[in-house]
Amino acid sequence: MRFLDWKNRLAAVTMGAALAIAGPLMANPYEKYAGTTLVISWPALAHFTAAEELLEEFTEETGIEVEVDALQYLKLRDRQLLEMSKEEGEYDIVSWVVMWKGEYVAKGLLTPLSQFFTNGALVDPEFDIDDIADAYLQNGGIVGGGKGYLPGKSGALYGLPFGAETSILAYRKDIFEEQGLAVPTTYDELAGVMTQLGEAGIPAMTSRGKTGHQVTAGWLLHLAPMGGKIFDDQWNPVINSPEAVKAAEFMRHVVQTGPTGIETFGFGEASAAFLQGDAALYLDTLKIAAMSRNPNLSTVDGNVGFALHPTDVRCGSETGGFAIGIPANSQNQEAAFLLIQYLTNKAGDQRMVELGGDPIRHSTIQNNADLFPEYPVVAEQLPCADPDWRPLIPEWNELNIDVLGQALTKVITTDDPIQPIMDEANEKARAIMEREGYYKWAEYRQGS
Amino acid sequence: MANPSAPPATVSIRPLSPYFFILPAVAIMVAGLVYPVLQAFYLSLFDWKIGTRFEDAPFVGTRHFVRMLTDDNVHESIWVTLRFGFWTITIEMFLGVSLALLLEKPIRGASVFRTIFILPLMISPVVVGLIWRYLFDARIGWINYYLGMVGIEPQVWLGDPELAFFAIVFTDIWQWTPFIFIIVIAGLQALPSEILEASRIDGANWWQHILFVKLPMIRSILLIALLLRLIDVFRALEVMYILTGGGPGRATELLSLHIYNRAFETQQLGYASAISVLLILIVFGLSFAILVAGNPMKEKSDI
Repeated sequence: MRFLDWKNRLAAVTMGAALAIAGPLMANPYEKYAGTTLVISWPALAHFTAAEELLEEFTEETGIEVEVDALQYLKLRDRQLLEMSKEEGEYDIVSWVVMWKGEYVAKGLLTPLSQFFTNGALVDPEFDIDDIADAYLQNGGIVGGGKGYLPGKSGALYGLPFGAETSILAYRKDIFEEQGLAVPTTYDELAGVMTQLGEAGIPAMTSRGKTGHQVTAGWLLHLAPMGGKIFDDQWNPVINSPEAVKAAEFMRHVVQTGPTGIETFGFGEASAAFLQGDAALYLDTLKIAAMSRNPNLSTVDGNVGFALHPTDVRCGSETGGFAIGIPANSQNQEAAFLLIQYLTNKAGDQRMVELGGDPIRHSTIQNNADLFPEYPVVAEQLPCADPDWRPLIPEWNELNIDVLGQALTKVITTDDPIQPIMDEANEKARAIMEREGYYKWAEYRQGS
Repeated sequence: MANPSAPPATVSIRPLSPYFFILPAVAIMVAGLVYPVLQAFYLSLFDWKIGTRFEDAPFVGTRHFVRMLTDDNVHESIWVTLRFGFWTITIEMFLGVSLALLLEKPIRGASVFRTIFILPLMISPVVVGLIWRYLFDARIGWINYYLGMVGIEPQVWLGDPELAFFAIVFTDIWQWTPFIFIIVIAGLQALPSEILEASRIDGANWWQHILFVKLPMIRSILLIALLLRLIDVFRALEVMYILTGGGPGRATELLSLHIYNRAFETQQLGYASAISVLLILIVFGLSFAILVAGNPMKEKSDI
């Protein structure tokens, strides 16, 4: 008995010792990076503010520290470009507006994520990238496909969507009921509703309208459903096409019937006008839904209905928002990948929904469809999200701000005929594309 | 005849010694002021984009300068700046001098008024921009709210070209009139009382007293104030950046804001540098013209 006892004890001690030695080697993919500090650059927007709690949970679980540098979203680009062009940058993770992806990659500032997806020690086998909405993944993360920014076989993955979005229509159920209005499904109906609301003295639809990026974003929302584009397949600008002019006319109608001051509205002001009850309609990012439930931002919670982005000649909604990736000069790339994976995997996506953010995965949208009224709408809208909603090329910034941003300000602040304004903008756009060498192949072929 | 016993070496060094003593100041000026200007000029010869290596930036020679001279946007922006300068400086000088003349006498509560008047000057330009942006806001601003109470339709102050221009002029006047006021009141208080008394004994009335005695005596101070404001107009950036960002269109895009937008919004750093060289030349030319017209230091040059 005594011998057995002794033997048992020895076995227990031996096993304990073995466990103690094996412990640190046990499967914990994060252990190697515990104590690392990651610095993230991302926007000061509701989705990202909500994500800060998820970052704390990440630190608790993995021992990897995270610091956030949050800026107004349009100010991110300057700061990120400066940091990423240094030998050793401050940022380990950057979040970009999808329209900057071409520029970042063209300048060689981002790390291809394939470098990490080939590392079995980093990749969670249950990550399931196919579950991420394709429109979001292609739009924010893939660079180098068709025309350099569309889905295509020449593309490579540089980022994962986080805070990605498409557009839906939000409307005030109480006002619609009071006025006896039907929810518009086409642009003709939408225009009719706007006129009716305007005649009843109710500000109809809010919109972004500030000179530069904002007014262009407002117009682009109408361009896609009306069948317009920025360029044809040969990079000829077509912003003076009948479709583009029609979208500009509609934009003018929005300003005339909408809340006072659209000409000065950026994203924040345009959203605030709806959330504070000064507009009956909102046609822009799905982010409005989560914002309308946030008591700090909204006074209209409970009165907001959601519907598909109205169609005109086609269904075409926004592809936009943000993606996150890893700068080429980050010193903690592997740990950064682990965090990105943590934020965008199934559990992370579900947590984001619980924290008041927006999901990127089909499974999350389906699993929460009963909780939030906009989720079924978003699920139906996503197939219409237009990957060619705007050209995500490095030159887009100048076209967006300097050419379209100026022309469309003229459209909404004057009564001048629209066609000449758009003709002039088209010429300016062509000059920029010419300067950047987009027509060299066409000229070469013609010459030979 | 010179004293033969004095060592000749001391005599020959003496004319150089003033230059020796101003050398540190000149060195700091060159390092802090001239070098950045030369750097801006150097940058303007290249087409550099942030995020790429400067060594890879193509050399474009004077292309940016040629483009600048024919660029309607630059012309428009200079025109906006000149109009802005004309209205703000004229009104600020008038108001500042008038207030100083009114508050110059030791009346009861003058110090309270003076403190209140100079408050705007103490506020950071960024905060000034924010204050007025929300006051002028079309939807939630106080100005529209109070106009609405007297039955005036809400105006899109910052979204209409003319109203937005009015708004930036108004804000600038609000912020900078106190500056003129302080400088002028300091000048007025330093005037010798004998001359003022003499003019009164000679029978000058209130108007004559101000127009022919006081203002001419503070002429050099007024010129310095004018010069400083003129330079400020060409440097003004923060308030307009926050208030309107230069919009709608380019209606409030002063030259400095135009440079900022070129450099950072559309990433044309070389071109923006070329325009900033132009800005330096304009400010230099204006300052020089004013100094030639009435050098405030001239009377004191024999000191």
